[in-house]
Amino acid sequence: MTETTPAEAASDQAPDDHCGIFTIPGPLAIQSAWRDITFEPVRDQIWTVSEGIYRTIFLEGDTGVIAFDTFSTPGGARAYQGAIQRVFPHKPVHTIIYSHDHLDHTGYAADLAPEADIIAHDLCDRVIRARESDGQLPATEIWSGERKEYEIDGLRFELLYPGPTHGDGNVAAYFPDSKVLFMVDTVIPGVGYTFFPDWHLTPYVPTMRRFESLDWDVFVPGHFWITDRAGFAANLDYYDQMAELAQQAIVDGLDPNDYAAVIRYSNEKLKPKYGVFFRYDEYFAMNLMRYMLHYLTGGWGIEGNMPAITTPF
Amino acid sequence: MSEHQGIFTHHATQAYLAAEPEMKTEQLSDRLWTVSDGHGRSIFVEGNQGVIAFDTFGTPGRARAYRSAVEQAVPGKSVGTVIYTHDHLDHAGFAADFAPDATIVADEMTAKVIKLRGADGQLPVTQTLSGRENRVTLEGVEFLLLNPGPTHGTGNLSAYFADERLLFSCDTILPNARYGLMPDYHLANFVRYMRGFLELDFARFVPGRYEVTDRDRFSKGCDYIEAMAVACQQAFIEMVPIWVHDAMAGYAKGALGDRFGGLDGFDEHAGLTAIRVVHHYLMGGWGLEDTPTPGILLADQVG
Repeated sequence: MTETTPAEAASDQAPDDHCGIFTIPGPLAIQSAWRDITFEPVRDQIWTVSEGIYRTIFLEGDTGVIAFDTFSTPGGARAYQGAIQRVFPHKPVHTIIYSHDHLDHTGYAADLAPEADIIAHDLCDRVIRARESDGQLPATEIWSGERKEYEIDGLRFELLYPGPTHGDGNVAAYFPDSKVLFMVDTVIPGVGYTFFPDWHLTPYVPTMRRFESLDWDVFVPGHFWITDRAGFAANLDYYDQMAELAQQAIVDGLDPNDYAAVIRYSNEKLKPKYGVFFRYDEYFAMNLMRYMLHYLTGGWGIEGNMPAITTPF
Repeated sequence: MSEHQGIFTHHATQAYLAAEPEMKTEQLSDRLWTVSDGHGRSIFVEGNQGVIAFDTFGTPGRARAYRSAVEQAVPGKSVGTVIYTHDHLDHAGFAADFAPDATIVADEMTAKVIKLRGADGQLPVTQTLSGRENRVTLEGVEFLLLNPGPTHGTGNLSAYFADERLLFSCDTILPNARYGLMPDYHLANFVRYMRGFLELDFARFVPGRYEVTDRDRFSKGCDYIEAMAVACQQAFIEMVPIWVHDAMAGYAKGALGDRFGGLDGFDEHAGLTAIRVVHHYLMGGWGLEDTPTPGILLADQVG
């Protein structure tokens, strides 16, 4: 096999096509591809943007823009910058706030706004610095603990770290004046994404329920469409139900490594109730497999075994 | 009597936990055996006074069946030491049913995760090891316990028996392609660390599940994971819908079938494994374990 380092791979491409952690030689077409991004106001100075699958928010300040995350590729980051400039053509992105460490959300600040200040939670920044991914810039301002108030460029909001949920140092943004909560790769409409990659399942639901103690009525997720408190709560209920279903599947003798059998079991026993959920056919069986493996293996690593903090915010 | 239940909370798990499968034991040398319940596999060693056993199997019933298998193979000697390969319950979850009075040895990071988890039946570690290589002498038996870095689970130790020219490594390289979703694998350095074991002089390889195999198939297992990583990157940049099982299965089979299609389980597992591996490149790896100089986040918060 011919492998190259990320830096060597980057050298084979256009200078602006950062390659993340790809190790195969370029050109990496998907990194450069333009994304059609739509934007719409949420409330007050809060706007949301999406290319159909990924979603994030940006904020209009007095002199510039605060952007959350960067989208998933250099091309996506440039399209995100383009969308912001169409809304606020005379306001530069002066601040980026990272939701968490994963490249598909925060991998390309170098293409979105390379001179911007970058704010991240300490647990997120530690991973980003260790990863050394091409195009993912480390934070210039780090915070720690579980909540911090910010007032930047006339905008007031809070960042909240509830404990391990998904990825590392995953924070929510809370806008108390607008009653809006934004958090990425946690509550997402429909069934869970594929096999719940890098979800910390043991503490996940009680940790997320902490947000129900705050006063908000609009929830902006990191994927698909905006929802409300009821949608947020129903999504967490799905995880609780999945935990029960997975244990029952183990008792029923289902092999979590036999995907065809898991699909059959799911469709025979569970589709009547869950088949109407968005993306049931794509992911439900994988969701069940992952939860079965959770109970069989016991949770993964330190974060996957930490007792949840349940005190309200 | 109620069975130890790991982290199960469901009311109906008792029968599953209690079932005692038939164990198949095979002697590998004068003092070394391997044992399997048809799913998992482990090894145990006869010492001067007692038995050194690796892992416990994944339920109380399986742990009891394991103990019976040891007693049959080495009559008159009880298990004095249990060595946990790693933290997962399906391998190391039920020492309370296997050998409740034994000394329990594991890597220090395994010990931390087990302490945090507090699973019912998984006994805490009583003797921790640290570092990449520990030369162990127990009851007249010498072997190496090796932790090259994050591979699968936390603090995963492989055992090398020089006299037997044998390597035992649990839930890392398999003798087939049945990797499924590669649960809790740390992909960034996985192949590099596993290939490092090829510097050892071993002829037989005992995996943590499936059949005993040899050095060549161990090496081919490394080749497979490495080739899967390349194929998944290629699928990604060619804009294959990486979140769709059938699309990734089709791509992986096309890219790897000629070279690896003969591996048992390839057709059934290639799609799932591809989905797991491609998300490594999408997301950047999971945690400090998946970085060029690995560590474990929040480990310093666990005493």
